[in-house]
Amino acid sequence: MSAFIDARTIPSGTTQTPDLAIIGGGPAGIALAMALADSKLKILLLESGGMNFDPAVQKMYAGSQTGYEPLDGDRLRYLGGGTNHWGGWCRPMDESDFEVRDWVPSSGWPFGRAALEPYYPRAQSLVEAGAWAYDQGGNALATRHGPILPLGKGGVYTSWFQFSKMRGDVLPTQFGHRYEQDLRAQANLTVWLNANVTGIRLAANGTSVDHLDVATLNGRQFTVKPRYTVLACGGIENARLLLVSNDVVKPGIGNAADLVGRYFADNPIPRDVATLVVFGGRLAPYYRDNQDMGHGAILRATFAPSDTWRRQARVAGSLTTVEQTVVLDDVGKAAVATTAAALGVDASSAQAWSLGCGLELIPDPDRRVTLAPEKDALGLPRLKLANSISDEDFARYRHTLAELGRQLLASKAGMLRINCTTRDEWMKNMDWGHHHLGTTRMHDDPRRGVVNSNAMVHGVANLYVAGSSVFPSYSASNPTLNLIALTLRLADYLKAVMA
Amino acid sequence: MKRRTLIAGAGFAAGAAAVAGLWRYTGLLRHYAPSPYDDLLEQLNDRDQAALLGRQVVGAPDARMMAQELRTRIGKGGLGAAAMADITADRMTEVDGWILPQSVGQLAVLAAKH
Ligand SMILES: Cc1cc2nc3c(=O)[nH]c(=O)nc-3n(C[C@H](O)[C@H](O)[C@H](O)COP(=O)(O)OP(=O)(O)OC[C@H]3O[C@@H](n4cnc5c(N)ncnc54)[C@H](O)[C@@H]3O)c2cc1C
Repeated sequence: MSAFIDARTIPSGTTQTPDLAIIGGGPAGIALAMALADSKLKILLLESGGMNFDPAVQKMYAGSQTGYEPLDGDRLRYLGGGTNHWGGWCRPMDESDFEVRDWVPSSGWPFGRAALEPYYPRAQSLVEAGAWAYDQGGNALATRHGPILPLGKGGVYTSWFQFSKMRGDVLPTQFGHRYEQDLRAQANLTVWLNANVTGIRLAANGTSVDHLDVATLNGRQFTVKPRYTVLACGGIENARLLLVSNDVVKPGIGNAADLVGRYFADNPIPRDVATLVVFGGRLAPYYRDNQDMGHGAILRATFAPSDTWRRQARVAGSLTTVEQTVVLDDVGKAAVATTAAALGVDASSAQAWSLGCGLELIPDPDRRVTLAPEKDALGLPRLKLANSISDEDFARYRHTLAELGRQLLASKAGMLRINCTTRDEWMKNMDWGHHHLGTTRMHDDPRRGVVNSNAMVHGVANLYVAGSSVFPSYSASNPTLNLIALTLRLADYLKAVMA
Repeated sequence: MKRRTLIAGAGFAAGAAAVAGLWRYTGLLRHYAPSPYDDLLEQLNDRDQAALLGRQVVGAPDARMMAQELRTRIGKGGLGAAAMADITADRMTEVDGWILPQSVGQLAVLAAKH
């Protein structure tokens, strides 16, 4: 049995010497701990929160931001992290998401999707998204529930999201509650709840972690001296901890190239970006809603640009989904009547739906988090986030929508209106995915990345980073399934190097 | 079919009428002043609907040039074939955000002018 200990009850001055310290008990930290259950490593998981929401703990996430949601509303600081309020949307990243794309500056992972392939099945099982379907199996499962909207030959195809399992009205898999018993049953693991890491202290030569400072909100302070440390505090907080730990190396750990905190990204979700008209008026239910397809798989259709076309048309990733029915104005009706008649199609029962989208942003070093002068309850500088979307991001997505429109006409199934042209129109109905990406980007060249391809912080041999902060380019796919697969890969690597 | 068309009303009626072979009926209801482009405009099932769409095109495209181009494209195959050829060749245009085959868009502009 592992110990779940409330750190607020541990005497100040206590020192722990685990083999591995995991900072943060979100899906990354929990997946990592569980993946190492069969190792001989003594693991300490340090989690800032408890088992449930606590406003005092949550307040430590507050910061300031431009062009973004409040930083303490966008994350959750207790065991399970962001999965305590996530939507459960899952989709593996595409092959081209990993590639160096000369039309996407600073893009490219140091490895391809094949490196994550062995880890997806376990990641899929941890998020409880049922049998693996997605692009390989989605169409076959779906056709039993209604026809797939035919698209003519071209760059966009029907792809699939899968969903983490809901329990009745309860949110999808909340890692803290769902895996509490598994963690408790893990003999080589100790979990400290309410334990905030406030500093990562390097040895004097700056090449290894000497110890971690840990503090509680009731004033206890401890030291943890691990052989290895994995930082798994989420896509924004990972950068914060590296930046505040600047006593030995001045710009902060891993920040010699001034990259920590830069290249922040999310997946923007502009709504009502386009109007889809289906001439025949019918759209299978899995376009509009999550549909239980059996085998534990809940699917929803999405329109995605293919890898081949992304390379050819030089567009970024995007996942377009059907939202709600809309009524066409007179010009819309005229467009449908004129076009359908020209194509010789009956549009007397035509129906229209609005489309929304999750976008992949082009990496931008000026989209970043920096330390602010204000401090949190434990004396750590708060963060300031500067977020933005470029016109180029919108222009590329527009191209994909136009291609979808062309393909709908090619199949004579329907047509499409692009509703957004000006920046104001794009921003009018803008949501965010709350996916925090890129702030400790991965690259084997220390001048271009904070961590190397094994997620080790450049120059600090026993410090690793888990989570979507290491994504060097982002994909339009939601990150959690992917970051878990990446974390499982890290677990295998740590097993080998720490043996 | 006729009855359904009437019930459908609104803008979609014209599309249905076309399929039902009733386009002449809708055409008979309206009289248009002769234009140099009647040979092209007769391809349209509903000139009023097309004109409404065409009026959304900003700027003043050269009607004569457009008509010349359209005549070549529409040729003997008719508007349907020209539209499909546009789609295949990615000759698309955008009118008020609607993604259209170029020949449909151009014909709508001509309808708006005449
Ligand atoms: C509203 C919302 C909806 C979302 N929907 C989806 C979705 O549908 N699909 C999807 O893929 N993703 C979704 N996400 C994103 C998803 O939640 C994150 O990708 C995921 O939680 C990141 O996992 P993580 O373990 O890296 O970080 P987190 O989940 O953020 O976990 C970090 C953990 O570290 C702890 N911590 C922080 N600082 C410290 C410290 N100093 N010391 C110790 N512990 C610390 C925190 O308490 C937390 O438990 C959504 C997010 C939000 C907010």
